[in-house]
Amino acid sequence: MIEWQVLSSASKNLRVNLDPRTKLFLLITICILVIGGQINGIMLIIRPALAAISLILLFTAGKRKISNICIGVYVFFFICENFILPVMTGTLGFILLFFSGFITRLLPGMVMGYYTVETTSVSEFIAAMKKIHLTKKIVIPLAVMFRFFPTVIEEYHAIGDAMRMRGIRFGGKNIFKILEYRFIPMMICSIKIGEELSAAALTRGLGAPVHRTNICRIGFHFIDIFLIFLCIALFILSILSKIGVF
Amino acid sequence: MIKLQGIWFSYGNENTGDELRNINLTIPEGQVVLICGESGCGKTTLTRLINGLIPNYYEGKLQGSVLIEDTNISEKPLYDIAPLVGSVFQNPRSQFFSMDTTSELAFGCENIGLSEDLITERMERVVSDFQISYLMGRSIFALSGGEKQKIACASSAMMEPKIFVLDEPSSNLDIKSIGDLAKVIALWKEQKKTIIITEHRLSYLMALADRVIYMKNGEIAEDLRIEEFKNIPQKEIYNMGLRSIAPITFQHHNDKILEKEMLELSNFHFSYEKIPTLEINHLKIPKRSIVGIIGNNGAGKTTFARCLCGLEKKSAGELQIGRKIFSGKQRLNQCYMVMQNPSHQLFTEEVMDEVLLSMEDDTEENRELVNKVLHDLNLQGLKNRHPMSFSGGQQQRVAIASAIVSGRSMMVFDEPTSGLDFRHMKEVARNLQKLGAMGNTLFIITHDPELIAECCNYFIFMEQGKVLWSGGWSDLNMQRIINFFEATQYMELIHR
Repeated sequence: MIEWQVLSSASKNLRVNLDPRTKLFLLITICILVIGGQINGIMLIIRPALAAISLILLFTAGKRKISNICIGVYVFFFICENFILPVMTGTLGFILLFFSGFITRLLPGMVMGYYTVETTSVSEFIAAMKKIHLTKKIVIPLAVMFRFFPTVIEEYHAIGDAMRMRGIRFGGKNIFKILEYRFIPMMICSIKIGEELSAAALTRGLGAPVHRTNICRIGFHFIDIFLIFLCIALFILSILSKIGVF
Repeated sequence: MIKLQGIWFSYGNENTGDELRNINLTIPEGQVVLICGESGCGKTTLTRLINGLIPNYYEGKLQGSVLIEDTNISEKPLYDIAPLVGSVFQNPRSQFFSMDTTSELAFGCENIGLSEDLITERMERVVSDFQISYLMGRSIFALSGGEKQKIACASSAMMEPKIFVLDEPSSNLDIKSIGDLAKVIALWKEQKKTIIITEHRLSYLMALADRVIYMKNGEIAEDLRIEEFKNIPQKEIYNMGLRSIAPITFQHHNDKILEKEMLELSNFHFSYEKIPTLEINHLKIPKRSIVGIIGNNGAGKTTFARCLCGLEKKSAGELQIGRKIFSGKQRLNQCYMVMQNPSHQLFTEEVMDEVLLSMEDDTEENRELVNKVLHDLNLQGLKNRHPMSFSGGQQQRVAIASAIVSGRSMMVFDEPTSGLDFRHMKEVARNLQKLGAMGNTLFIITHDPELIAECCNYFIFMEQGKVLWSGGWSDLNMQRIINFFEATQYMELIHR
């Protein structure tokens, strides 16, 4: 059976096992500072530092191949941006500027996002959201969404197979028809599965007006606290640099 | 003790009439009750009354009362019924809320707010009772159907209810997993739980059930002790529309002389994540035969079928018919697959359009041909309806109709009779025989010995991605098939 899923389904033994809250905070920090930050002054150090954190985390998660590729790509474009671009001109320079700007800004966030979903199980996620007192009204739909993604993708592939087998392909026929063929069976199958899923969940007591427990143990360790303080420090530094202290 | 008194029920506003009529039933504690009957006889509806899904989730008009230990559960919310009644459903794909097995086991207990320590303690006990420690901490999506059903049983056992309700739990399972399911039921029986099971496959329950309730048109037609039920002659059982209660006997199909002309398959290989799941170097199959592909789950049957149809892009392998050689991509236009869930392969708004989609263009002649095919498959009255509004069996027939008009001579059926009653199974077998008689080569993946006895005349037996043996109805092969379906005979497993 092929696995298609968004959040990890089983918690794996990792050398660095961060609390989901730490991961989310890191993700937010990276998104704000790396994507939105400036590229001068102290930010020249903060941005690669955050990129390094995300890449190291991905590396320790056992995703050697993909993290090596990402490290290579990032280093290449970082060097381009900082050392080669200043001496280049013309169209080639413009293209390089575009790509290096794009990749050095987006890659760390993508790496961190990938790391977060790859290493967090749904139960960990729910437990973490409960700890930060996020309302059930948001947590349960999110949990259901994560649960439902793999199912929808499975359906999508099954329908895709059926279309290929019947010779319904893009091109030739009306493109809207193709979309209709693809999505209507998928929606109908998903609704049916969703209905059965809710029935099953209800017979297992979902929605009981009691304090729901969770056997998943999460908590902050030294490394979490270290990373959180680091992020806070970086935020302060970037704000200080923005208002012109440096 | 479960007491159903004067139950009348119908779903919503549909004009389907009463789903249940005048049900009066008392089930004492510790009894194992098998509820059987043809599709649509109301047996699933009856289970929904006991686990409270009716009237809490499925709405309708309900009269009468459902009492468990003298409380009327129809008036209680579902979360109050959950600790009393554990449920296992038919479809292993749609009864899990979590994504890993450990959280799934804990899910019910977490919902009712049991303490973490108590949950862990219960989990240890359930895991050892069910012998599923090898499944813990794994992704649900990576489990086989049988393993999923085991987890479903285990997670309902976590709530420690006194009553278990199982709605066709074996529909999607292979022979071996049915044996495992039987062991679970035996364990519950030993623990003096009350068990209510609806089923089409009866034989595995003959050693377990205490009482059999036969339903017809929403009423209880027979209420028998198991000894009485076992004494009903086989012919009578078939007349009641039920599947066989004894092991299936196979007969020689000598009348069907197989073609000399062969389909030759060579180098069918496929690996998933570097683990080889299919390794067939050379295989010959007589043209125009009805080939049963048998073997346990995970033996590579589906992978083989997908490679045969050219659906696995990465798979090499060539198919030779006469002098023509077809590569994977070319086979996409040679084979037609009727999927286990036919709603995946129906795309249009009307049956007529659906079938025409398989043809080059929409001409008068083609329409006439479609009409004829629809007539042959008893679909003529439905040709202007939306295929998605059909029952599973009707959808399957629409898929068969489009397979016929597509003019492809090889058709693959993925478990066409899972979860079907005797009458519907017969109907599928008849349709398959018709297709065979039209000169098509059929490949049927199946766990259903009755279907095999009805229509197959050639076999491929698979194990660990390899073809262990293949051939027609020779004495040796027949013995092999009998052994395969018997080796996993549930009763022996239980009495051991």
